[in-house]
Amino acid sequence: MIELIHLTILLPLAGFLINGIFGRKIKNACPDSIGEKVIGWIGSGVIGISFLVSLFSFFETLSLPTDNRQTIVNLFNWMTVGNLNINFSYQVDQLSLVMAMIVTGVGFIIHVYSIGYMHGDKGFWRFFSYMNLFIFAMMNLVLGDNFLILFLGWEGVGLCSYLLIGFWYDRKYEKSTTADAAKKAFIVNRIGDFGFLLGMFLIYLTFGSLNFNEVFSRAESFSTDQSVFNLIALFLFIGATGKSAQIPLFVWLPDAMAGPTPVSALIHAATMVTAGVYMVARCSILFASAPAIMTVVAVIGLLTALFAATIGLVQNDIKKVLAYSTISQLGYMFLACGVGAFSAGIFHVMTHAFFKALLFLGAGSVIHAMHNEQDIQNYGGLKKYLPYTAITFLIAALAISGIPPLSGFFSKDEILWYSFANGSFVIWLIGVLTALLTAFYMFRLYFLTFEGKHRFSSEKHPHESPKIMTIPLMVLAGLAIIGGFIGIPEIFSGEHGNQFQNWLAPIFKSAERKLITYGSHSHFEEILLMSISVIGAAGSILYARYIYTQKPFIAVDVSKRFSKAYNLLWNKYFVDEAYDATVVNPILKTSDSFLWKIADNKIIDGVVNGTASIINIISQRIRKIQTGVAQFYAVVMMVGIVIALFWIIFGR
Amino acid sequence: MQNNYLITLLLLIPLVGGLLILVLPKTKENIVRYSGLAISTVTFILSLLLYFNFDLTNGDFQFIHQFKWIEKLNISYFVGIDGMSLLLVLLTTFLTPLTLLSSWSSIKKNVKEFTFFMIMLEVGMLGVFVSLDLFLFYIFWEAMLIPMYFIIGIWGGEQRIYASVKFFIYTMFGSLLMLVAIIWLAVYASTPLGYFTTNLLELYKVGPDVPSTIQNWMFLAFAFSFAIKVPLFPLHTWLPDAHVQAPTAGSVILAGVLLKMGTYGLVRFCLPLFPQSAITFAPYISILAIIGIIYGALVAMVQKDVKKLVAYSSVAHLGFVVLGIFAVTMESVQGAIIQMINHGLSTGALFLLVGIIYERTHTREISDYGGIAKIVPVFSFALMFVSLSSVGLPGLNGFVGEFLILIGSFKSPVLNSWWYTVFAASGVILAAVYLLWMYQRVVFGEVKNPKLDGIADMNKREMIVLLPIFIFIVWIGIYPSTFLNVSKESSKKIIEQVYYPQEISKK
Amino acid sequence: MVDLKEILQILPLILVGAGILISLVLEMYSKRSEKILPWLSIIIFLSAGVLSLLSIDSPKSAFNHMISVGGNTHVFYFIFTAGAALVTLLSIDYIKKYGTYYGEYYILIQSSVLGMMLMSGAKDLLVIFLGLELMSVSFYVLAGLNRKKLSANEASLKYFLLGAFATGFIVYGIALIYGSAQTTSLEVITLKFSNLSTNLLFIVGVLLFLVGFSFKIAAFPFHMWVPDVYQGSPTTIAGLFSTGGKAAAFSSIIITLIAIFSNSVQNVFAPYLSVIATLSMLFGSIVAIAQEDIKRMLAYSSIAHAGYLTIGLAAGNQDGVAGIIFYLAAYTFMNLGAFGIVAMIEGEEESNLTISSYAGLSSRKPLLAALLALFMFSLAGIPPFAGFFGKYYVFIAAIKSDLTWLAIIGVFSSAISAYFYLRIVVLMYFKESTSELTLFESRTGLLAVIISSILVILLGIFPGSVLQLITSFI
Repeated sequence: MIELIHLTILLPLAGFLINGIFGRKIKNACPDSIGEKVIGWIGSGVIGISFLVSLFSFFETLSLPTDNRQTIVNLFNWMTVGNLNINFSYQVDQLSLVMAMIVTGVGFIIHVYSIGYMHGDKGFWRFFSYMNLFIFAMMNLVLGDNFLILFLGWEGVGLCSYLLIGFWYDRKYEKSTTADAAKKAFIVNRIGDFGFLLGMFLIYLTFGSLNFNEVFSRAESFSTDQSVFNLIALFLFIGATGKSAQIPLFVWLPDAMAGPTPVSALIHAATMVTAGVYMVARCSILFASAPAIMTVVAVIGLLTALFAATIGLVQNDIKKVLAYSTISQLGYMFLACGVGAFSAGIFHVMTHAFFKALLFLGAGSVIHAMHNEQDIQNYGGLKKYLPYTAITFLIAALAISGIPPLSGFFSKDEILWYSFANGSFVIWLIGVLTALLTAFYMFRLYFLTFEGKHRFSSEKHPHESPKIMTIPLMVLAGLAIIGGFIGIPEIFSGEHGNQFQNWLAPIFKSAERKLITYGSHSHFEEILLMSISVIGAAGSILYARYIYTQKPFIAVDVSKRFSKAYNLLWNKYFVDEAYDATVVNPILKTSDSFLWKIADNKIIDGVVNGTASIINIISQRIRKIQTGVAQFYAVVMMVGIVIALFWIIFGR
Repeated sequence: MQNNYLITLLLLIPLVGGLLILVLPKTKENIVRYSGLAISTVTFILSLLLYFNFDLTNGDFQFIHQFKWIEKLNISYFVGIDGMSLLLVLLTTFLTPLTLLSSWSSIKKNVKEFTFFMIMLEVGMLGVFVSLDLFLFYIFWEAMLIPMYFIIGIWGGEQRIYASVKFFIYTMFGSLLMLVAIIWLAVYASTPLGYFTTNLLELYKVGPDVPSTIQNWMFLAFAFSFAIKVPLFPLHTWLPDAHVQAPTAGSVILAGVLLKMGTYGLVRFCLPLFPQSAITFAPYISILAIIGIIYGALVAMVQKDVKKLVAYSSVAHLGFVVLGIFAVTMESVQGAIIQMINHGLSTGALFLLVGIIYERTHTREISDYGGIAKIVPVFSFALMFVSLSSVGLPGLNGFVGEFLILIGSFKSPVLNSWWYTVFAASGVILAAVYLLWMYQRVVFGEVKNPKLDGIADMNKREMIVLLPIFIFIVWIGIYPSTFLNVSKESSKKIIEQVYYPQEISKK
Repeated sequence: MVDLKEILQILPLILVGAGILISLVLEMYSKRSEKILPWLSIIIFLSAGVLSLLSIDSPKSAFNHMISVGGNTHVFYFIFTAGAALVTLLSIDYIKKYGTYYGEYYILIQSSVLGMMLMSGAKDLLVIFLGLELMSVSFYVLAGLNRKKLSANEASLKYFLLGAFATGFIVYGIALIYGSAQTTSLEVITLKFSNLSTNLLFIVGVLLFLVGFSFKIAAFPFHMWVPDVYQGSPTTIAGLFSTGGKAAAFSSIIITLIAIFSNSVQNVFAPYLSVIATLSMLFGSIVAIAQEDIKRMLAYSSIAHAGYLTIGLAAGNQDGVAGIIFYLAAYTFMNLGAFGIVAMIEGEEESNLTISSYAGLSSRKPLLAALLALFMFSLAGIPPFAGFFGKYYVFIAAIKSDLTWLAIIGVFSSAISAYFYLRIVVLMYFKESTSELTLFESRTGLLAVIISSILVILLGIFPGSVLQLITSFI
């Protein structure tokens, strides 16, 4: 099966081509909804098969001895220049398999869900071909065995996100249009890619290759100048901040919500945005060799987590809240990487994929029911209309809040623990604080949406979504519940330890060797900290319930009292405005009013045309000496002769 | 040396064919069109013959054909190709029939003359790429101005006269300085060689030994004339005018092939003939190239005229090529060569698309468009595809070139600093900005301009024109080896020619 | 004692001379001379030209070192006669249009050609002077041929006055040379030069001689007459001035300078020549831009070309000489081509002479327009036409004798001149016609232009054989 891993890449590509080229025809050929079904099931089917392939490859790998679970599947040579040699070859190992299964598994569920969600959309076929293209790119990203294939996927997912954010290209979105949001996403990502590219160049310059195995093995034994690692890691991390929406490049993700909700679920929550985490984990050895940058990663992650969580507290657009919570959760993952707990980071990637996808799909189901109403102030009491959605949403909310024994609890708690063990108490404290905030705003969301009395106009008749949408919700809910059990920390699981960690251990062992390991901590500490965070989370959930079901005015009243702070949060710390004022507008203005209108037209071209016109003027002047008077002509000749004579007699 | 007549045939067929077109009846426009297409297609097939008989393992010039032409100055008719010129020859012969086909309906007056000039233009460009005698090279280089001048001047836009004259004199001025340098070099060489010659291969032997002060002047004279053609910042201002005013076919050839003559000249002459000077000036020229990349992108960003936008984007793209050339590493030079082809395809396609929509709406103002995705979906897709290729999306052609150039310049011992690459790479961001913004304003949003309603989508002919280009865009993106292998040996040779005289270690 | 062998050697001269006499008689006694004369003179020119090419061999001197035969002298003979033949061909219809017919027209052309031939074949300064006067006097008359027209009279008078002025210096120069060298024979001067080189009188003499000829070749600052005379005189004749006249003057300068410097290292007049070359090129090309009358424009262009040619003199090496000769041949044909078309476009009463009257010519007279464009490109020095190769060659000469800066100025002014040559093309092809102009069909004229265009292309693409011929005698 492993040898067939490229199917997981080629099938989605096939799906993309089929729906992309024939989609419109299929739609027109078949009567109304059958066409959609065909397209939808082609689109979902290919992903489903890819999932099975990666699943079987997983079991096959499981059967291999622990120390050699890496298989390289080479397709063909991409480019060979000088000593640069890039192949289209894919690396099947513990890490890439985990990612592959997340991408295809969650991807499949979301595809199925979309059949229902996108029903009746004029661009139905377009949607599915884009989604398949995305899976294609994403699989390249996670399976590639060298940086360039990773980058191929990296840019590819960026493109798909661009296409899908702008899917409803003729719609308004907030102040601007969906197209603006799409463009913003692509360009901000490009800024990250800029860093990523430089990182690649530096890697190539230092290790003379872009192939993972070669680079990492050489990096491990690299002894000359360690400072180069700092630069490499920094550049790569800049790339990660772009793709995974970390400070300072997170601004695109909230706007990305302009896309259809399944897109937000798949691309902007479950998979693409975690690419950065994957990349950092993949390059663990490079980062481990650059302690300074590890700290940077940890701090950035932590700050992003807190920062986004605070914004999430006050947003009213259901998808915006989820978007900021995504940013915040990604922050957690980077925090994990930063403190050297790579497997914890990946673990959180997985669990997050489950519950965040679930949250988004739930939100989608709500929006679907409320006819594209997204403001939670106009929801309320939807539980009785959308029972399945409500319950699954609740499960997800509990999971993200880290309530045991749901998946979120295990992953988040592992991160918090390592941030204390390998990091410091302060880091842990902020981490917990963020966790509490998370729990609070998630349940603010939940209660305002599903509980209490409904605040929407009476002509809206919300109704539960069709099975094709609710079944995926349930599946994901199931995963959100049990997903954590594969990563039970050893204090509970006993001697055979954390399964997930052991599974990934071979990938990270060289990195862990490099890292300074702290003295071990007692189980008591671990239990203590764990219980603190859990209790805290539970507390803030109850507090949220108290405010948003019993005493709604408190919230209003708080926002009044701290109106300054509230405004700051409500306007997302004015980051977008700041960027526009400091970067975007200046560039636009100078380019337009100086570079083009003055430098190019006036100065540079001015010189060119100036020379021409000067010659013209001279010409006009000189022609005047042609008076037509013969005597004058004679004089001119005479002058010439005299000068010549002077020169010949005295000049030589 | 055994003569091979294939290249001569390649030049003669369009030359004779073009002259024959002149005798065709003026009124029988379709006959003219078809014969023009036929001639250029035959030429293309012939160039394929070159490709299939080309020895990839050999970095020297092949298909050599040489005979004495002007005994007295022993100027000889001397043609031959190496990998790089082969690629450019193919690009030329590939684009010409497509451009002819593309102007089927857009060119209505003087079809006969138009076809004639287009074919003559092809002859001129091919001549430039195959000449191995500087005199012969110069003849083609200059003669080629004439047809282009007429194409812009007769079939161009409102300010076609200004544009054509500017194009002609600006470029001619540069070339004339090169002429002086050519003679100077030949005269200089006549001392060691014992005779006056403009034979490139002979001069290769002498050039590197020219004392550095003189060598610098000669280098600058050559480089100046090529820099104008490229065009290198700040010598680029003729380009926007020429591009905007030229008819679609003209712009396509201008962007697709003519500009490459500049970069080709840099690789073929400036590097091997004056290695020391090339190394001396590499940093400065690279800086200009990088300024061009960023400046071109920024100016393109704020253009209101689609064609102008594409024109400035050319300045940026060719900045990459020049950077690659003067980084003088295997990666960067190979990248530069492949990027020449890429730019020919992508920008050529962009101009074709602009022409297609212009034919329907008769406006180039971006603000007159918007929301055409609904009206002309196929066109919108095509435009997206080409924009992405020109943005340098991995998997499409643009990426391969830019990546190789950047990674090459990064490790370049000549430039010997990252900063060049750092700044150049920022152009990758900006490219995304101006192209996607243009795309968004043209294609997305609601339809505001009533004129746009009910305009026809691309027709069969137009698709046939674009399809081959698209195939190559993907081909180069996924499997560039086909093309990289062609130029591999010649690039290696050129780099050796640069490094041979001085002891710079080849990394 | 003159023997038959020498008579045969100067057969071309004799042919033309005899032609003049026959024509005179014919003109007097035949009513139909108007019909016959042109064809007669064409026959004479062609036979003389062909003969001089056939009888070409290594240069010798005849008539006890008065006249040189063979060698480049014959090449010049051919240039003159061919040029004159073309002019005659053009004149046949032009004369009708231009006004009343005067019998002496063709005869004067013949005598001027005889003068040119003497100038290029001279071995003695006096012979040069003889030829020069014969040519100039015929020119003066030709310029003012149409006595009814004021502008013609003015042109003729100016030409005469200033021409006489210049000739004066030539005579004075010859006198000084004679005074210092006790001879006017170039061969003797060659032998004596080694001890003359320091003799100031001699040097001044040669300088004055050169100055006088600078007038004839229309070099700055002795060019002032050119625009007015070209404009005033019949277009075809202006063509003859600018080609045959220039060529003859250059031939004399060449033979003189060669004679003087053949066995000495450097050319003491190089600075002088470089300066007038520079000034002529720049002045000619710059001022031509401002012209509205096409004949004046061509006049300034001819000044500029005088500059390019003088580069060859300044270089003062074999390539310089060969370059000049080739350039002159090329220039003769492309310039006559241009003047020819101008003559054909020109309407009665000198109408259609403004540049603007060429607007949209391509749509009305595609062939003429195409040919004129060709000549313009060739004059601008754009390959693959003859004009380019001429320039290329003189530039080689300049750079070989370390005058690279002169070559650079040369290319600068070429770039400038491209502007006004292109202007004609722009008008003909890129503009629509403004005024309706009626054109006289002229078969012979068309024939002449086509011939010269063919020659321009051939000389441009296959200069080899001609070059071989020229250089073999240097």
